[in-house]
Amino acid sequence: MGGFVHEVQLAPSRVAACVPRIPFKLGQPKKQIVPKTVERDFEREYGKLQQLEDQTKKLQKDMKKSTDADVAMSKSAVKISSDLLSNPLCEQDPKFLEMVMALDTAMKRMDSFNQEKVNQIQKTVIEPLKKFSSVFPSLNMAVKKREQTLQDYKRLQSKVEKYEEKEKTGPVLAKLHQAREELRPVKEDFEAKNKQLLEEMPKFYSSRIDYFKPSFESLIRAQVVYYTEMHKIFGDLTEQIAEPGLTDEQREKENEAKLSELRALSIVADD
Amino acid sequence: MASSGSDEPPATETETEIPGAECSIYEEVIWLDKTEQNQRLAVEELIKTEASYVHTIQLCVSDIRAHLQQKQLPDLDLEGLFSNIDDVLHISRRFLKRLEATVSHTEQLNQISALFQEFKEKMESVYKVYCASYEQALLLVESYRKDPRLQQEILDTLNTMVPHTGASDLSFFLVMPVQRVTKYALLLQKILENTSPSDGAYPALQSATNAMLEVSANINEYKRRKEVAFKYNKAEQLTLRERLARLNTHSIAKKTTRLSRLFMHEAGIVPKTQDKEYDDLEEKFQCLASGVTMLKENMGSYLNNLAVFLISKPHECELEIEEGAVQQYRCLAGNLHLTIFPEFRRRLNRVVYQPLCSLTDALKGPQQLIKKRLDKLLDYEEIQERKSETGSVTYDEEAAMNTYLAINALLMSELPRFNQVALQLLGQILNSLVALQRELAKKVLEETTRELAQLPHSHLPLPTFWKMVEDTLRQSGTQLHAFCQKFETVMPSPLVQSLSPAEERRVLSLVSKHSPDKLYQVISNISGSKDLDLTLQRGQIVALLHGMDTKGNTNRWLVDAGGPRGYVPAGKLQPYHLDQSQKPRMQTLAPDDRAERRRHSYTFPEAPRPPVPIVTPASQVVAGFSFAARSPQEVSLQAGQPVAVLEPHDKKGSKDWSLVEVNGQRGYVPSSYLVMVPPWEPLGWSLPAWSPPTQQT
Repeated sequence: MGGFVHEVQLAPSRVAACVPRIPFKLGQPKKQIVPKTVERDFEREYGKLQQLEDQTKKLQKDMKKSTDADVAMSKSAVKISSDLLSNPLCEQDPKFLEMVMALDTAMKRMDSFNQEKVNQIQKTVIEPLKKFSSVFPSLNMAVKKREQTLQDYKRLQSKVEKYEEKEKTGPVLAKLHQAREELRPVKEDFEAKNKQLLEEMPKFYSSRIDYFKPSFESLIRAQVVYYTEMHKIFGDLTEQIAEPGLTDEQREKENEAKLSELRALSIVADD
Repeated sequence: MASSGSDEPPATETETEIPGAECSIYEEVIWLDKTEQNQRLAVEELIKTEASYVHTIQLCVSDIRAHLQQKQLPDLDLEGLFSNIDDVLHISRRFLKRLEATVSHTEQLNQISALFQEFKEKMESVYKVYCASYEQALLLVESYRKDPRLQQEILDTLNTMVPHTGASDLSFFLVMPVQRVTKYALLLQKILENTSPSDGAYPALQSATNAMLEVSANINEYKRRKEVAFKYNKAEQLTLRERLARLNTHSIAKKTTRLSRLFMHEAGIVPKTQDKEYDDLEEKFQCLASGVTMLKENMGSYLNNLAVFLISKPHECELEIEEGAVQQYRCLAGNLHLTIFPEFRRRLNRVVYQPLCSLTDALKGPQQLIKKRLDKLLDYEEIQERKSETGSVTYDEEAAMNTYLAINALLMSELPRFNQVALQLLGQILNSLVALQRELAKKVLEETTRELAQLPHSHLPLPTFWKMVEDTLRQSGTQLHAFCQKFETVMPSPLVQSLSPAEERRVLSLVSKHSPDKLYQVISNISGSKDLDLTLQRGQIVALLHGMDTKGNTNRWLVDAGGPRGYVPAGKLQPYHLDQSQKPRMQTLAPDDRAERRRHSYTFPEAPRPPVPIVTPASQVVAGFSFAARSPQEVSLQAGQPVAVLEPHDKKGSKDWSLVEVNGQRGYVPSSYLVMVPPWEPLGWSLPAWSPPTQQT
């Protein structure tokens, strides 16, 4: 009178309260259902995709941070010139006013170009990245389902094997038949899933190359556009108000000269 | 011996004027001789004293100071003691040489005057520095005197190097330049006294004397201003304790007076001392100060943002793409981050930010002085009032008034220069900023253009390029969507018996009308013979309406076939189990609530699906214990047998008994003997694996 009850693996609350559970040991099937090479291939392909998922996430995050910092820089550059413009010094000194106004115009123009650049990057880099990343959840779910099916497959397989080992009595044969019937759809299901994933995963992985090409091209192009403008705008400005040819040492010397003049005055405290 | 060659012989004049007054002539001559002699003596004194002065200073520098220097005493502040005595020595030596050259000259007095005029500016600038730091030097000497070890060292040096002077103190030597510079005027005055106003050299001498007097006055003024500036141009860093300790009735009274005066100013009760010139200066200064401070702050935040920008490195992501635009980008961004931008930051610091910081520091002194001036002005006005009332002021009050005047004078004289130079520096800094921006753009452009040249579409004009990118991305998006769909779709599992879509729909509608445990599948073809009998195909699904016909025959059941209703033989039906995963063919995976959390993402399917009726999970029911039937209504169970629950209660409605079918037989068994086993999610339709023997009971 060997009774058996399917071991309730994951939801023990499902068992009717008044019935004691009769434990049943589930072993692993003796036969290796999935050949090692197939499993290895699967792990390898999936591993590559997991890596890719991490990296695309990281790239997305870093790209966002980078563009945010870029915008912040541009805004603070505008603040430099607009604060100077609102200082009364500009009213008192026309030459100073001229310089500050030119600087302010330049900074504001640069800021609007920067905004354009950032918008392009958003459209051609960050959005596509997001789209690419959105495939991964579906992939991971599919892999997980395959895994679950595999577990079921293994379990049913071991059950069949168990019956196969037993003495061939009537009830045993019945149960064996039943177990085999249960096993068949699950096995086919697993094999279908496995095949599908093994086919699609590499395709997806290699699609990244072509997918990202336009994004990176546009990233570079956008920079070229921006810096071309910047070079022109500040080139004109330098001709207008600055002394373009000086080296850093010369500038430093000039500054030091003025500072020394200031420090020579008695009203300036020397520490 | 110099002779006043330009002197007209006076004897002839007096002779013609007073003939016969031979005594007066002699007296004249004697007088004249005496003054001439005194004059000559005075000139000699000038030269001789200068020589000895230079000699002593030389000793000071080359002997005393050098000796002390050799001793390498760390506590001895040689620079504070001796200040710019090298410059003093240098100028005095040159002066002496030129003085000595005038000796055998005919126009000596004129030469000397000219010499003073030539040297006065240089002397002023050298001596004023020395004199201004002389007070400090004296304080140092005083403090060293208190230190026995240092004092001993100093004395030792003095005794070694200059024993003949008998000096016991450094101040003996240090005071000499201070004395000398004022002595020039006195010496010149002495020569002037002994020169007749009609002498040709007189005007030159007079202007030389005046010049040297002016030099002394300027040196004094400079000294006073420096003292005032030094006293007030630093904000005192006092602790609260020290501030409290300073409070006494006097200081409180002083501050109260100032405050009340300030109120009176603001209220218009008392007229403010208007000084438009000063106010303009101050206003300009304040504008400058606020501009500089603001610029420094803004530059600071710009540099911070630059630093943050350099931290995030999107180009360091590893997408395992060996070549193409990705590598170009990595190369470009790498260069920008490693080389170009850090250099830009360094240069900004050097020629923009650092000077700004220094300029900001330089602002502090004048700001302090301006504050102090206002305080002192309030005192001054107060005292002025009292003076006009009482007619006199105390010594302290006089000093306070002078302090105000000194600060005011100092600011008036130096602020214009400060404002001008500071503004120039500000301009220079802004120029540098602009130039650096241009150079940054140039460098980046070189890099990007180089990378761009290697890209396939670099030749495309911009709008075409963007359009191309947009189109490509749209296509890629569609492709991605396709991938997504693929992964979300589960290959429909091969079914033992698959149902057509029409059949599935019928099944669903049956389930929604009746409960899932009333479903049965036709095992073999049924051809109905009587009326109300249904003709059904094998595999069709029906729902049980009533377990017997109108005559009470339990083998003839009334069923709903999803449209027609009728009777079918019960033996040709077997219970049909629905699983919770029964869904239309294109199955979307439901989230598994038993999932172990993996670090990767999962989605809940968001696409709208055909509404699926909520199917209560039909669990597998198994006999938990063996049971022997004791009556014809009951049926025997063997432990472990799967059973089909037809009704979970008996005819009276009691839940203790369930009507089950097992082994082809139907009957009642105790409900407690039944075990519910949750299905382990096989996909597709699950059927009882065994077919019951077709026995009719």
